[in-house]
Amino acid sequence: MTELTRRRLLASAGVGAAGIGLGGAAGYLVGTETAEASDGTGSVPFYGEHQAGIATPAQDRLHFAAFDLVDPSPSALRELLQEWSAAAAEMTAGQMVGDANSVQLAPPDDTGETVGLLPSRLTVTFGFGPSLFERRELRLSGKRPAALREIPPLPADELNAGESGGDLCVQACSDDPQVAFHAIRNLARIGRGTVVMRWSQLGFGRTASTSRSQETPRNLMGFKDGTANIKAEDGEAMDRFVWVGGEGPAWMRGGTYLVTRRIRMLLEIWDRSPLADQEETIGRDKYRGAPLGGSEEFEPLDLEAERSGKPMIPIDAHVRLASASANDGERILRRGYSFTDGVDESLGELEAGLFFICFQRDPERQFVAIQRRLGSFDALNEYIKHVGSAVFAVPPGARSGGYVGETLLG
Amino acid sequence: MNRFALRTSLAAVGVGLVALLAAGCGSSGDAPPGAKKMAFTLTDAGCEPNSAKASAGPITFEVENAGTSKVTELEVTDGETILGEVENLSDGLSGSFSLTLEKGEYTLYCPGGDDEKGTLTVSGELQAENSPEVEAAIAQYRKYLEENTAGLVAATEPFVAAVVAGNIAKAKALYPAARIPYERIEPVAESFGSLDPRIDARENDVPASEFEGFHRIEKALWVEDSAVGMTPVAKQLLADVEELQAKVKKVELQAVQIANGANELLGEVSASKITGEEERYSHTDLVDFEANVEGAEVAFESVEPLLSKKDPKLAKEIEASFEDVYASLDPYRRGAGFVSYTELSKADTRKLAQEIDALAEELSQVPAQIVS
Repeated sequence: MTELTRRRLLASAGVGAAGIGLGGAAGYLVGTETAEASDGTGSVPFYGEHQAGIATPAQDRLHFAAFDLVDPSPSALRELLQEWSAAAAEMTAGQMVGDANSVQLAPPDDTGETVGLLPSRLTVTFGFGPSLFERRELRLSGKRPAALREIPPLPADELNAGESGGDLCVQACSDDPQVAFHAIRNLARIGRGTVVMRWSQLGFGRTASTSRSQETPRNLMGFKDGTANIKAEDGEAMDRFVWVGGEGPAWMRGGTYLVTRRIRMLLEIWDRSPLADQEETIGRDKYRGAPLGGSEEFEPLDLEAERSGKPMIPIDAHVRLASASANDGERILRRGYSFTDGVDESLGELEAGLFFICFQRDPERQFVAIQRRLGSFDALNEYIKHVGSAVFAVPPGARSGGYVGETLLG
Repeated sequence: MNRFALRTSLAAVGVGLVALLAAGCGSSGDAPPGAKKMAFTLTDAGCEPNSAKASAGPITFEVENAGTSKVTELEVTDGETILGEVENLSDGLSGSFSLTLEKGEYTLYCPGGDDEKGTLTVSGELQAENSPEVEAAIAQYRKYLEENTAGLVAATEPFVAAVVAGNIAKAKALYPAARIPYERIEPVAESFGSLDPRIDARENDVPASEFEGFHRIEKALWVEDSAVGMTPVAKQLLADVEELQAKVKKVELQAVQIANGANELLGEVSASKITGEEERYSHTDLVDFEANVEGAEVAFESVEPLLSKKDPKLAKEIEASFEDVYASLDPYRRGAGFVSYTELSKADTRKLAQEIDALAEELSQVPAQIVS
């Protein structure tokens, strides 16, 4: 059964593929599709030098979950990561999870909601939080990378513990929201007894482009976001700013560090601020995306430009303070998603914003340094609140037959 | 504190005024009062005239196509930035747009012409020639500002004296009243750089070593139940509010800035009063809430005659919405003050927040109305 794609199962069950929009169901092989296709047919290999979901051109949807270990024995953790990797490999290939999906007297291994759905470029990315290395039973404290430390309190933080931290994380990205949800749901199910979910976040739309092939999307403030992001095609920048190299530890080589920040946007206040104010807050033209004073989205920021003796891009504009030149040349790979979680109970306002995700070699030197500056001076702070925060070490990818985390636990 | 308002709202409005007018313009944009008219013709050669001079201030560009099929557009740009344009003017059509320009060299751009780019040289200072109504609005609001900075100093003095004397009960009793005048005029206070963070930063707004002002003392009184070590903080606070009073006397005001300030005050209510973040130790948030609303109301009333000329219906709606907001606070009044924030349920804060949102949405329409 593991060899069956979700599409094949449908065909053999007599449902046929007519309604799915692709011909030749019986002969459908995921491997022949291109990884880039965002129409659902693309699939991204799970195994590789780096974990997928980092340099992968950002998919449209996200389901992210943080877990806490409840059975902190080394063998339980190893088994969990083996099972998670195997299941992730199946799901990313568009296959059902597990072997037992047709036993009448048993609950199916796979929860089933993606039967008939395409692989949709699903990626599943695993990470380890700093608290994992403090579990005495695991005896991992000597292996904790120096770069993996809790994010310190930062200016303007309004964090909720319930939306922060975690021993382990799983980032599932896909162009189909149900495929991403399915991945988290099934991994949580596999983990029962070993881990419990601490918090989870759905993201309904990507807010960053991580590839030159992608249009820059807009965040919920209506501005293009991620114009100046590192692009995956820029291998030199990826090596310099994202992938862990010789600095070690050896088990992290080819890995990276993931920081999440749940950023609530005060959209009601933002929506009633004048256009000129919005543009000066961000430092870009709202519609074209060009830096203030410029005309093209991708032109470099001219931080020196002035009009009537005042900087065109104000001193507290978000793009100025977040720019590499304001941060000793440091950059991060952003890969965030817009979210909305209903109505804020105590305000009656939209509970919405940006689930910020970034990848970097050294969170302290990169994200923390940048956010320390933004939290203190960014004009945008008037319209946002950071309510959740977490950091994870993302180990390198697994070889076929191996598992993510093998370099640490193997 | 308006989270991290380092930018002076004065400067923001100065730039914003130009940008607002530029953004609002189009072939049928309303000409600002007193705008000087400049006529241009589109010809095969490009813009005619190709070189022009003007005085700083509002200008209406009247553009006519005099029989060219090559050029159908005139843009005024500052460097690469298009400030205003009229497009799709084919043979015989005309159109106009208005801009308020500061001193500088601008480009007249007629794409397709033999000589596409010309120069518009603007000289002189941008003169805000205020009408008597605008002057009256500014005078009324200035009076309010000065009353409240004087009131702030007068209310801070006994509060500081109680802190210095170590009289915690008295300091606690005087604290809410000292907050009121500040909260009424907060957007103006924020225009003086680091003065606002020194007076009004919350604990997580600034590095621990820079946490001072009202909220540092609030924490000492309510959390630490002690005024030990607070004497220098209290004395600095008094010096800072006196500095604010002196600075406010010299502040330049514009009508649009006053209207924007009303809007910012309601943003303050939504972001930090309804959430209980402002007075997180004393829980006197509703006192600040009402002070913010009062400040917004006076700012609005100052510019209301300007608005009533343009849109009397909106002015009436805003008046009614202010009444609704005050009414929504009534159930929580206790004597001269309010119940503790901790007594509010989520349903209570939700109702208050939604009343503020309704008012603020209307109020946000005011600045653009009163400048055009």
